[in-house]
Amino acid sequence: MPNPRKPDGSLVTTCAYCGVGCGFKAETIGGEIVRMIPWKEGKANHGHACVKGRFAFDYYQHPDRVRTPMIRSSIDQPWREVSWDAAIAHAAAEMQRIQAQHGRGSVGAVSSSRCTNEEIFLMQKFARVALRNNNIDNCSRICHSPTQFGLSATLGAGAASQHFDSVLQADVILVVGANPTEGHPVFGSMLKRRVRQGAKLLVVDPRRTETAESAHCKATVHLALRPGTNVLVLNSLAHVVVTEGLHDAAFIAARCHPAEFEQWRALVADARYAPEVVGPEASLDPADIRAAARVYAKAKRSTIYYGLGVTEHSQGSTGVMCLGNLALACGMLGREGVGVNPLRGQGNVQGGSCLGSWPHMLSGYRFVTDDAVRATFEQDWRLSLDPEPGLRLPNMFDAALAGTFKAIYIQGEDPVQSDPNQNHIVAAMKAMECVIVQDLFLNETAKYAHVFLPGSSSLEKNGTFTNAERRVSMVRKVVPPLAGLEDWEITVKLINAMGYPLHYDHPSQILDEVARLSPAYQGMSFALIERCGSVQWPCNPQAPEGTEVLHTQTFPRGKANFMLTGYVPTTERIDERHPLLLTTGRILSQYNVGTQTRRTGNVAWHDEDLLDIHRQDAEARGIRDGDLVAISSRYGETRLHARISDKVSPGVLYTTFHFAQSKANAVTSDLSDWATNCPEYKVTAVEVAKVPATAPASARARAGAKA
Amino acid sequence: MWSELRDLREGQDLGTPPRGGEPVALVVDGKPVTVPAGSSVMLAAAAGSCPVPKLCATDTLEAFGSCRVCLVEIQGRKGYPAACTTLVEPGMVVTTQSPRLHELRQGVVELYLSDFPQEDVPGGWSELHETLQQVGVASHPYGQGENHLQAPVDESNPYFLFDPAKCIVCSRCVRACEEIQGTFALTIQGRGFASQVAASQGERFLDSECVSCGACVQACPTQSLVEKSLFVGGYHRAQPPKA
Amino acid sequence: MSAAHGDGMVIAIERLVAMANQIGDFFAPYPQGQREEGVRNHLRHYWDPRMREALLAHLDANAGAGLHAHVLAATRLLRDEQQTARKAYAGPPPRG
Repeated sequence: MPNPRKPDGSLVTTCAYCGVGCGFKAETIGGEIVRMIPWKEGKANHGHACVKGRFAFDYYQHPDRVRTPMIRSSIDQPWREVSWDAAIAHAAAEMQRIQAQHGRGSVGAVSSSRCTNEEIFLMQKFARVALRNNNIDNCSRICHSPTQFGLSATLGAGAASQHFDSVLQADVILVVGANPTEGHPVFGSMLKRRVRQGAKLLVVDPRRTETAESAHCKATVHLALRPGTNVLVLNSLAHVVVTEGLHDAAFIAARCHPAEFEQWRALVADARYAPEVVGPEASLDPADIRAAARVYAKAKRSTIYYGLGVTEHSQGSTGVMCLGNLALACGMLGREGVGVNPLRGQGNVQGGSCLGSWPHMLSGYRFVTDDAVRATFEQDWRLSLDPEPGLRLPNMFDAALAGTFKAIYIQGEDPVQSDPNQNHIVAAMKAMECVIVQDLFLNETAKYAHVFLPGSSSLEKNGTFTNAERRVSMVRKVVPPLAGLEDWEITVKLINAMGYPLHYDHPSQILDEVARLSPAYQGMSFALIERCGSVQWPCNPQAPEGTEVLHTQTFPRGKANFMLTGYVPTTERIDERHPLLLTTGRILSQYNVGTQTRRTGNVAWHDEDLLDIHRQDAEARGIRDGDLVAISSRYGETRLHARISDKVSPGVLYTTFHFAQSKANAVTSDLSDWATNCPEYKVTAVEVAKVPATAPASARARAGAKA
Repeated sequence: MWSELRDLREGQDLGTPPRGGEPVALVVDGKPVTVPAGSSVMLAAAAGSCPVPKLCATDTLEAFGSCRVCLVEIQGRKGYPAACTTLVEPGMVVTTQSPRLHELRQGVVELYLSDFPQEDVPGGWSELHETLQQVGVASHPYGQGENHLQAPVDESNPYFLFDPAKCIVCSRCVRACEEIQGTFALTIQGRGFASQVAASQGERFLDSECVSCGACVQACPTQSLVEKSLFVGGYHRAQPPKA
Repeated sequence: MSAAHGDGMVIAIERLVAMANQIGDFFAPYPQGQREEGVRNHLRHYWDPRMREALLAHLDANAGAGLHAHVLAATRLLRDEQQTARKAYAGPPPRG
């Protein structure tokens, strides 16, 4: 039958794969999803898609999906299938037993950025009303928590200043530590479109990424800096701006605290940030630093997009502040075509940040230590809240190892694979008495779990996602949840079992509660989003249909702050035993730790993580393309097949982390950002050595010379 | 400011990208229509609910003017300009339906059909099928000639296939790869009758620079590029009748 | 390690000292006064109380060994709840 089957059903929903949040029509035949068609009216994607959202949806009915709740008394026991009620009752009883025995603060929870806003909100509510503590965190802890901190500190709002379309108004696009054409492909296409129209592209990245150079798109300046020198180089850009008088004095006078500007100017004008001094330390040509600063500062409209290459450092928050400072100094905020914009990883990481899934903050970025803020929640929820900040995710693991943290409820995350210093995380997991994992699949973390609650994919639930441009879009239930319950329903059951009575007929009622309790979401409702297609926060009586560009008239705190961003080198340094720097990233066809995309046809492009190594470093070690090599750091060791690549500089190695067997995080350090404990994934000192080959290299590794 | 992206509507193909210029008033098939300056006659006709048949045009791509199906008559102009590449002007009077236009379009579409699997004409739901219906053509008067009906199907991509037998070389896939995705993986190889869509330098899709974004599949009007998930038990091309 | 309620150190003290010094490194370029307040506010608003208590216990037991001078001063400021701004705090030390 050469004519294809025609779909008989279609429902508009939002892709969960990355922070772009593309709108899709999920098309069905007889109730089964047959294809995902990019929605022409999707305001983030305008009818475009990438290989993940467009095609990699079949994981939802993969045989590996867990369909029944399971429990076991210890991790060396086999799983036992039980009813939902039995699993929930067991999980609640364990949490309560442990709290009675080890104290209220001995348990915690982590929410998932693959879940909806409503589900994330419920997870933090679970911690606060059922556990009665603030031990709640979200996965942006390990990716964009420095964004929230750094942008709040400088601009007053921890989110992108622009909408995606704004890039089409930019004259200069500065991309720092991000590779949008692979990590955020649909936005990457838009960026390239603007570059083809004549905008200049500046790239700061240790690798010669696809963004820096591809067909009809080449960076005017590419600063291929040494990993770990972001703050040094960004301060050097600022040095050029202030010493060459390229700053926007009128903007600074009108919109910023002038005294703070002077303080900052004195810091970055210091001779130690001169390009001629910074260049050799960061492996850059000083002339390139000067050129990049001039191009950025002199354009009418320059915009900044950045990713985890900025945040995942011991000075991650400082790096974000550098970007805020730079944009402020050049007056590049509050208009179309300018701004500072994080490219967020998971589909709902922005939601993860907004909805109070933090140990120190309630929804709407307000501190638990603020009595007035807490009071509004206490009134709505009719109980008193813990006034002290709770443990952050890495602190929970540290505390587990110290024996004071005993149980965790993990929704849709896989910390054993995704979090740094894997040996440390595994030991922490083993030290806990009750680990509850709620996921689609038995992931790496589930190996250490006592309760497994089978979750639902984003195709199986109703709710909303907030993308990287603050856009709240509808997630619609295309097929019924495979294991019977949507994730929010599971959390509601657990909260009830813990003794706090709670009921919602529909997730829209949860969003209503969010709106009631969070200023930025004040005007949000399912009805409004249905009517507008999607709505960007802040949404309130002043902006009833949302806000595209932030900071147009004033900053949330009135004036913006220049932060002092002194460069403090990471303590993770190369030495004779570990002479190379390993940095990590992702590839187009795979998503994050690969739980979903590894179970789709996308393995045709990427079926294993490879180690990119420069020819010079490879030759010095007798390593040839396709060889199996051992990578050792101060923290652990792993093995990957090597790929000789000219995309990395000598002294720098690169790998992805999509496959569990790669154990990329066996070698990463437990160093983290000073402000947020966001791990320093991007810099690990290592040595590599060829493994005397008995195991044959895989076909793709042998054919991998393309990169 | 972003009309090309923001004024796209689901379920409606304006034929050429929406524009954001000052309003221009014209008459299409006797009806007054007002569209932004910079719009094509094709878009004006679609906005006025008298859509012109088309194959190589779609509103997510810039006009190309290759298929010659969208011919119209414009008062005061010679010949039959293509609606997709002709921009609106104030006071323009356009006719989209006439016996002569009908005849011209049928002729063009019949030529396309002469190199298209006849077995696939009934029961299809592609844009080509819609155009066939609009123009009122279901077969062609030509004998079996040179054709692409035996060209091998490229099934290398895990998610979509390319069947050259159904390709009309309208370049929508090539343009989608360039204009929308920005990868420039596809090209038209060869000239004249031999011209065909190729990934990279005539490689299989999977071995080319193609990033599998699906923009080409979405753009293809004939389902020559099509999702594999729409076929049960794999893709089996109907055998052409023996010569 | 002790698992009894209230007994165990919430996180190994070496790690807490290193974390506190890292915070201190950020605030180091600020003028004296602002610098200590910055560190103090950060600890107050971002650290679990058990982590702060552990740091204070380290101050008493070991004179805060290993802490940079201004971090030591900031830790002392933590003692005085009255001085601690309870308002939302995300960035620089409040301007005097």
